[in-house]
Amino acid sequence: MSLVEIEDLRVSFRQYGGAVDAVRGIGFTLEQGESLGIVGESGSGKSVSCSALMRLLPATAEVSAARLRLDGVDVTKADREDLVRLRGRSAAMIFQDPMTAFDPVFTIGHQICETIIAHRGTSKKQALDEARQLLERVEIKNAGDVLGYYPHQLSGGMLQRAMIAMALSCRPKLLIADEPTTALDVTIQAQILQLIKDIQAEFGMALIMITHDLGVIAETVDRVLVMYQGEVMEQGPVSQIFDAPQHDYTKQLLASLHAGFEASRGEERDVPALELRGLAKTYRIRRRSGLFHKYADFQAVQETNIVLPRNRIVGIVGESGSGKTTTGLMAMRLTEPTSGQILLEGTDISGLSAEALRPFRRRMQIVFQDSYSALDPMMTLVQIIAEPLHIHEIGTAREQSELALDWLDRVGLDRSFASRYPHELSGGQRQRVAIARSLILGPSVLVADEPTSALDVTVKAQIIRLLKRLQAEMGLSILFISHDLSTVKSLTDTVVVMYQGRVVEEAPTERIFAAPQHPYTKALLDAIPVTNPRDRRLRSFLSAEQIAAATPRYTTKDTGTGPHADPTLVGIAPNHRVEAVVTA
Amino acid sequence: MLLYIFRRLLSVAVTFFIVSVIIFLMMHSVPGGPFDANEIPVSEAVRQQLMAQLGLDQPLYVQYFKYMWGVLHFDFGVPYQSPGETVLQLLSRAWVPSLILGGAGVALGAPLGILLGIAAALNRNTWIDYLASAFSTIGLTVPVFVISMVLILVFAVWLDWLPASGWPTPDRWILPIIAYAAIPVATYARYTRSAMLDTLSRPFVTVLRAKGLSERRIVFQHVLRNSAIPLVTVFLPMFIGTATGSIFVEAMFRIPGLGAYFVSSIELRDYPLEMALMLMITFMYCIAYLLSDIVYALINPRIRVGGSE
Repeated sequence: MSLVEIEDLRVSFRQYGGAVDAVRGIGFTLEQGESLGIVGESGSGKSVSCSALMRLLPATAEVSAARLRLDGVDVTKADREDLVRLRGRSAAMIFQDPMTAFDPVFTIGHQICETIIAHRGTSKKQALDEARQLLERVEIKNAGDVLGYYPHQLSGGMLQRAMIAMALSCRPKLLIADEPTTALDVTIQAQILQLIKDIQAEFGMALIMITHDLGVIAETVDRVLVMYQGEVMEQGPVSQIFDAPQHDYTKQLLASLHAGFEASRGEERDVPALELRGLAKTYRIRRRSGLFHKYADFQAVQETNIVLPRNRIVGIVGESGSGKTTTGLMAMRLTEPTSGQILLEGTDISGLSAEALRPFRRRMQIVFQDSYSALDPMMTLVQIIAEPLHIHEIGTAREQSELALDWLDRVGLDRSFASRYPHELSGGQRQRVAIARSLILGPSVLVADEPTSALDVTVKAQIIRLLKRLQAEMGLSILFISHDLSTVKSLTDTVVVMYQGRVVEEAPTERIFAAPQHPYTKALLDAIPVTNPRDRRLRSFLSAEQIAAATPRYTTKDTGTGPHADPTLVGIAPNHRVEAVVTA
Repeated sequence: MLLYIFRRLLSVAVTFFIVSVIIFLMMHSVPGGPFDANEIPVSEAVRQQLMAQLGLDQPLYVQYFKYMWGVLHFDFGVPYQSPGETVLQLLSRAWVPSLILGGAGVALGAPLGILLGIAAALNRNTWIDYLASAFSTIGLTVPVFVISMVLILVFAVWLDWLPASGWPTPDRWILPIIAYAAIPVATYARYTRSAMLDTLSRPFVTVLRAKGLSERRIVFQHVLRNSAIPLVTVFLPMFIGTATGSIFVEAMFRIPGLGAYFVSSIELRDYPLEMALMLMITFMYCIAYLLSDIVYALINPRIRVGGSE
């Protein structure tokens, strides 16, 4: 008997004005200890199928199946007691966003213990003991302390580990991981994936890995199911899917994995489009101390120098909290820098008043990650796109709409979209609108803050191509902020790596991928998921202390500068700077 | 925590001072005085003498500090409209009925409202939900004097189960308590329902289901506790609003409570009583918000642990 048996599963959601089919007759089986990846984009039905298996769908869902069995139990007919036994015991789940997956008002220890007690009826003390061991198993060092922590006191990576510990607490036969690393930084993602693989082997569990990321699939599973619009496109062993894909959709997905490097054309010229000189941001943090407040300084960004030449795309990469977004916002003067200069085409705009800044605003624009909240829901697309013209009082109302319609064309949307509203569009379409709005004024500098990280792989590739095309057409200079190294590789000319609020390495894109120098850059590159299951390897991860200890060393001969005992950015090759210690 | 409470008490004192100045100034900036001809027909000479006797001829700041000095010694003066007793005596006499009836109204209404809200949230879009929703809409939209009138009409006149009004015996308290409870029931039912629905839609509830907890445990341990956080902030302030008396309810049921004095003290320019009533309410709201904040911090670990704002 197989652990999971699904045959002709159909799920539809009742909605106002009809039903939406989310899953249209899929089927697969899973044996004990086997690992299966389900890959597909948002709305493909991959999560819904697994939720149906756990009976976690809302009451508006209608589920029918010729066969839907988990651990020998017919899920469609399961009663309350069966469900309690199936959930957590036969199969456990981990979810995408660990920050919202724990109840915020109970400690981690309480939440793990309650699972153990509910299923196995152990004593409180026994449960606590076991919870601590589980936390240790998922490589949380201060497990004893973490038991008493509330969720908000832990980072996303730590919470996802705790989530895994909780899932393991009843020794489930099947672990369902629903996009377990999508909300995490690249380096943390690699660690969590490795942990899941280790634990699956150790506990002899079966694994279903739900993801939109083929890299995650290549890293973790034996067998793959490709889903598209509620149907299975193809399924087979992971090597077969990667080496000999049958279906067009699979081929398209694979193509997005292998984006190559392509330099921007157009001359650089002397005066850079944007130059940040010693730009820094310090936040004052207020802490209570006795009757009064104590202030401490937090340096979000330390003195940073970044040059964005004309006609070039510079990428800023780093993990959350590295200061990359703050740098982008400061460059736009949307966040006031504490010190430093911002030179837009040679003019220092860092001290200008709001009024004096206005003409410069035409020449620099920004696109954000979340296109949904970046567009006014009460305005039509043509109003949204034309708004910058309106603000800067350019042309008549008729001319403004005409131009906005042209821009709908230019970003690849049909003119008939003009009178639609943002909620009627998909994520990719909305991002196109945001791009049109930012470029309608004909700026010379565009700051793009993670514009593709909320999008599906295939859509992401389209948006990147669009940005690349518009960059060439308009002679744009783009500051591209991202944590996604594969996107950075295919789009940018130069990469700036930020770590803990400072630049640790900067080099031409090809060079930084081929010969990274700083230990953090190396760690970042090493964490990128492989593009083929054949390249799977065991990774070792550096702690912050290890990274600090491994600061590169050069001699004054290499750098042509004087010696520095403290780590400083030094040039070691043309356009290649790295934070290093220089000895005589 | 103790330090926090101490800090908050200090800020209560500051608030109290600022509010007292504002009230005092506003009270005296209203045109007219306690012995104007249209109120009490007295001759100009007598009026002058009365004003001097009560210290009303002195500059405002002198009057203010004199009054506040008295307040610090629990001397709120003598009400002009009832010179036979002190303000404190009048308040302690009139407040008893208001406190008993209003307090009982909230004590009855809040739990009932919460239960109704829970029932509505757990049975969303069923007849239970619709009934609860209709109930709370009535409680919020129909003025309390209409509710009082209907109560009197049905239970006192038609059914003749209960006396219609008055204070002396406890059986006369039942109808006003029900009238008082209407608003808390309605408000709490609405708040609880939306807080519960909000919590139920959060991802951690799915996680709790996925790990195999029973639905009862999920609702009563996790969802309720999370939903309680926004509710605490409305509980005590509402209690005060009700416990200081309602002019309408007290008038409808002819209860010798505090409510009527709010109007008469302003109408008659009864400065000592007006000031005392305002200060009392200010003080109670300050304390209520302080208590709410403490309870809020106690049930919300995000504030309690590492709470550096």
